[in-house]
Amino acid sequence: MSAYQDLSLQERMLLKFEAEEFLYNEADLLDSRRFDEWLNLLADDIHYWMPLRRTTQAKEVEKEFTAPGGMALFDDDKTILTMRIQRLAIGRAWAEDPPSRTRRLISNVRIDSIDEDELTVRSNFKLYRTRLNSEEDSWIGRREDTLRRSEGGFLLCRRHLFLEQTVILSQNLSSLF
Amino acid sequence: MSDALIATDKASVDVSGCFDMATGILDRRIFTDEEIYQEELKKIFGRAWNFVCHESQIPNPGDFMMNYIGEDEIIVVRDRQQSINVLLNSCPHRGNTVCRAELGNTKSFFCSYHGWNYDLDGRLIGMPGEDDFYRNNIDKKDWGLTPAAKVENYRGFYFATLDPEAPPLEEYLGWVGKVGIDFMLAEGDIEFLDGIHKNRLQCNWKLAVDNLYDWYHVKVSHGSAIKIGILDDAAMAPDNQMVILGEYGHGIGGPGISEEEQARYDARLASGEGEPQWYDRHAERRTSPETREMLGPVGTRSFGHPNIFPNLWIAQTNQVCLRIPRGPYETELWWFNFRRKGMSEDEQKFSAYMQNHMFGPAGVLEQDDGENWSHSTRGAKGTFSKTLPLNLSMGNKADQVSQDPSGQSCIETVINEHAQRWTYQSWQDWMAAENWPELMANHSQPPTGEV
Ligand code: FES
Ligand SMILES: [Fe+2]
Repeated sequence: MSAYQDLSLQERMLLKFEAEEFLYNEADLLDSRRFDEWLNLLADDIHYWMPLRRTTQAKEVEKEFTAPGGMALFDDDKTILTMRIQRLAIGRAWAEDPPSRTRRLISNVRIDSIDEDELTVRSNFKLYRTRLNSEEDSWIGRREDTLRRSEGGFLLCRRHLFLEQTVILSQNLSSLF
Repeated sequence: MSDALIATDKASVDVSGCFDMATGILDRRIFTDEEIYQEELKKIFGRAWNFVCHESQIPNPGDFMMNYIGEDEIIVVRDRQQSINVLLNSCPHRGNTVCRAELGNTKSFFCSYHGWNYDLDGRLIGMPGEDDFYRNNIDKKDWGLTPAAKVENYRGFYFATLDPEAPPLEEYLGWVGKVGIDFMLAEGDIEFLDGIHKNRLQCNWKLAVDNLYDWYHVKVSHGSAIKIGILDDAAMAPDNQMVILGEYGHGIGGPGISEEEQARYDARLASGEGEPQWYDRHAERRTSPETREMLGPVGTRSFGHPNIFPNLWIAQTNQVCLRIPRGPYETELWWFNFRRKGMSEDEQKFSAYMQNHMFGPAGVLEQDDGENWSHSTRGAKGTFSKTLPLNLSMGNKADQVSQDPSGQSCIETVINEHAQRWTYQSWQDWMAAENWPELMANHSQPPTGEV
């Protein structure tokens, strides 16, 4: 793992620009409901994970998130993510019919490390969803992504999501983060 | 302290005409009326045995979790003598909560307002200024955290009631409630998996309960989940249905097989020959003589969904789900997940995979439920729409209860609404009774003959 901090300013700027371009573009595909194109940005070995979060005493914050491999809101491989997308197209996916209107704001993008062809990127997100006439949800959290260079550009091979909510204050999580 | 935690309000709401068992017609105001809701908190949640935790959730002294009885917050905690205590999370000094974490381990509950400190059994053990400010003029033994009137467990599932007149837990559960819990243990001992999926819906809690018996909605509401193949189409909502009704509103509704089908399955199992059937996945878990003994001849043939009245759904996926009221129009769903002790790593992975992907807010299955329930609640709000009757007549007067010599009875039929009707009928009994003796004397008995 080479230290990102050892790179020159110009090299860091370029890398960060590339990562941001990927993240913004990807968010736009989801906002624009171009789900199949979004799927194409996922590596076959992707791990898409959102653990459960709990309110704990300050001295026990290590219990805040459930452990990898345990109970989670999302613990998806590409098969499940593909099913989630296919579901939308085949009808009777009522959580998204009528479709939600969503907007993703991605910010605070920082590169953590670079490892040969992989970049570990942290970012914050806000996902705003509104449905039907007046329903609103918004979810805020942070992500840890691993982007892998491939011929056609980056592929997302790991997305770990940490929401700020404990009890999910919405009737479902039918959007992708 | 008075002996009854719940003072029964004499001027109670009359809901006796809300549900007509003869026709299956329901008054939808029971989903939105504020007065009815307040009455439910007292007469149903305040009296019932409410599920609080499984013993494996808090294995060590000092382990605690927060839960609710109705809208009252409770602390469920294991003390140094290994007893599980259920304490109202409200400090008798000014009412503050003494526990703010959902789970954890602690030596005592220390109130963050003025520092009264409570032992794991709720006893008040200290307060700042007991000599200097109170001049030793307070009797600490009178000012502990209020415990539930009774806490009992059935095979590791802990329940609490706020009403000292409630019958013992096993009497309350009856054979139907017990078999419902036994389904969880059909393959052996279980243990809790860390993490409860919790989310909030804009629906009345009874609509969420009604739905757990509803095998009519499956192919419509969950059409997309079935079409993408994450679920086995044939097993999802088979026409072979079995309904089991128990005292005090408990029930089991859903797929089941006939005695003949069971015999064919057993023959197939013995010979290793024959075509696989939709129920194999369930029946496989019910082959040992001990399991069959535990579930009984009818219970063994049921693969339906039990509800322990009022709000504990036992799913056939090593999961149970509480439907917790948060106001007439809001309900929290809490999914408790388990695994069978001694599962192989592969079985464990598969089980967790299904638990994480079927139910909960992101569950491929469950995400499509929420809007239906919240919009059904909304349909009970309109000035005009709330006056219109709801139809729960499916299969009414079309079936027979069959009585097994073992004493277990059931209705073998097709998709139906028997268990929903039973739920509203029993709900009405609970709301009509002023106290436990009245409820015990007057509650509906599970039907016999034509239903
Ligand atoms: S409110 Fe708890 S100590 Fe005062
Ligand atoms: Fe459903």
